[in-house]
Amino acid sequence: MEKKKNSHSTLVKNSGLGVLIAFSFSFSILNGQQSLETNYRMTGEAITGMFEPQREAIQKFSAVIYDGRDEIVYGVVISEDGYLLTKASEIEGVSGLNVRVDRQSFKKAEVVIVDPRWDVALLKVDAKGLIPADYAASSDLTQGTWVIVNGATSRTKRRIQVGVISANAREIPPSGGAVLGVQLKGDDGKLVIEDVSEGSGAEKAGMEKGDLIINVEGTKVGDIEELMKELEGKKAGTAVKISVKRGDEVLELDVTLSARDELFQQMDRNDMMSGDFSERRSGFPRIIQHDILGNSDTMGGPVLDFDGRVIGMNIARANRAETFAIPVEELKVLADGMLAQVPK
Amino acid sequence: MCLLPLVGTAFPLNSKKAPETQDDLLSVQEALQKALPQASAATVCIDLGEGTGSGVIISPDGLIMTAAHVSTAVGKKVTVIMPDGKKLKAKTLGLRADADAALVQIEDEGTYPFVEINKGPAAELGDWVFSVGHSGGFDKDRGAVVRLARLVRMANNTIQSDGTLIGGDSGGPLFDMEGRLIGIHSRVGPQLPVNMHVPMKVFIESLEEMKASEFIGEGPFATAPEKGAGFFGVATKGVEGGLEITKVGRSSPAEKGGLKEGDVIQSLNGNKLATREELKSVLAELAPGDELELEIIRDGKEEKFTLNLGKK
Repeated sequence: MEKKKNSHSTLVKNSGLGVLIAFSFSFSILNGQQSLETNYRMTGEAITGMFEPQREAIQKFSAVIYDGRDEIVYGVVISEDGYLLTKASEIEGVSGLNVRVDRQSFKKAEVVIVDPRWDVALLKVDAKGLIPADYAASSDLTQGTWVIVNGATSRTKRRIQVGVISANAREIPPSGGAVLGVQLKGDDGKLVIEDVSEGSGAEKAGMEKGDLIINVEGTKVGDIEELMKELEGKKAGTAVKISVKRGDEVLELDVTLSARDELFQQMDRNDMMSGDFSERRSGFPRIIQHDILGNSDTMGGPVLDFDGRVIGMNIARANRAETFAIPVEELKVLADGMLAQVPK
Repeated sequence: MCLLPLVGTAFPLNSKKAPETQDDLLSVQEALQKALPQASAATVCIDLGEGTGSGVIISPDGLIMTAAHVSTAVGKKVTVIMPDGKKLKAKTLGLRADADAALVQIEDEGTYPFVEINKGPAAELGDWVFSVGHSGGFDKDRGAVVRLARLVRMANNTIQSDGTLIGGDSGGPLFDMEGRLIGIHSRVGPQLPVNMHVPMKVFIESLEEMKASEFIGEGPFATAPEKGAGFFGVATKGVEGGLEITKVGRSSPAEKGGLKEGDVIQSLNGNKLATREELKSVLAELAPGDELELEIIRDGKEEKFTLNLGKK
């Protein structure tokens, strides 16, 4: 199946809060002027090549995840026997999952568990003797501290990209709030689903046009206000138990809430200058931020400190200037929790 | 002949084309961490109502450097948001429309954190630098965002770095590794590593004129106010003691400013008015956005009104 990409032809959002930057009528001004050779720029080999010990760590415990032969995202190896973590929304619906770690190739990878809150999936490949990520004690690094992540890759060699911690660690609330992804009509004490948005948690849970929502998390709901009250304060990625009536039948559904802005993918001006950013880029309990260039395909891999230890896992290319990573404190808890849930 | 080395506090790694050891890399980190707290403390968000940009304070009394496409005009009221979220009243001073440079002055009294300007030899190709700015708008929990970069292209009125900028960064500061201001963020290219800044040279050569609130140069970064293009929105006739308003345009600046039919205008910006021609000639010297101070008589009482001209 083809991986979903951001459609750059979606509506331009008129957000009211414009942000200012002028576009590039300056190329002509710059042409023919002094220019630094690519090799010496931040992404160039003369800079990244100086981080060889850190690159070797990336080589050992980062994973490259493919759909058939297409590289789709990176991952972090968390056990010797083939468990690894990646960004869940980037592998959703992919049928030809296969994985490369160091020089080894694994033809089959299985999705074991998904944590929608962090957008992390636990994958399993048939392996022995892998080198698991070496966790750092803390992700609490001063702004301006070097960090190292996956760059381009070849069959045998992982390359890297480098940058610095670029902002305060913090929560990223869901953009536009958390929603079910349905259009509703309140009709005489009944809550009727008029439409189900494509790609929403409601659609995935099997909600249909014409269903009546009767109960949310054990509480009866009869109008939109009552429903909103039950959903209030809930975050994108959380599953909500919802009972719907379809004809004479009552169905119990687990609906995962979506972030409104991501569901409807409205692009503002900043999005349009941000290239291929992550579709799921909000609704994270806590993140650390760095300034390394990337796109939706370069997420999921480890973020290393200068000692080559894991301080986090890349989880969202938010925009042109910001990349988010799950801090190692939370990543360890998540990894251990997921491994503990694996059916024996 | 042999050139003497420059004396000063230049960042040592800038003399090498690339880092040669991991200690060289750590020297970048060390310099950045040392310079960043003051650089971030002086980097403000400028809220214009219709959008936000960034700016940097360069004097303890709150003089700010920013981009002309952020301030857009001379004498405009704006809000400056400090890193702790405190909002301050400020006014735009002069600007260079040809090179995207502008000044803003904080009007609330106070002593503000500020950065030093690099007035020395211009920054050079390959220098290590860092950008700070309120990317995408103000976010107190996040703080200003830093990006480490090198200078990758140099031209007369533009320098380019490979640290990515985004909307909201405009007008924010580019620093050398000692935390001295070397540029102001201006614009971006379609590729991520293409990010343009206005060099300090542009600000320094026009500093006095900009402090004196002059609008310098023609486009493309700001449009000069056009005299006579202002919209007031009243019909008048000359009466005894002034100019009576016979009609106020719907949603016009006059209506928004509180003027009513029957008001008798006595003076406008200190000019006594008796005829429509006199009003016309005063307005001919003013531009959209300019302030009107009116003395009028309403129901036998003198009243004062202040409003801004709209655009025709």
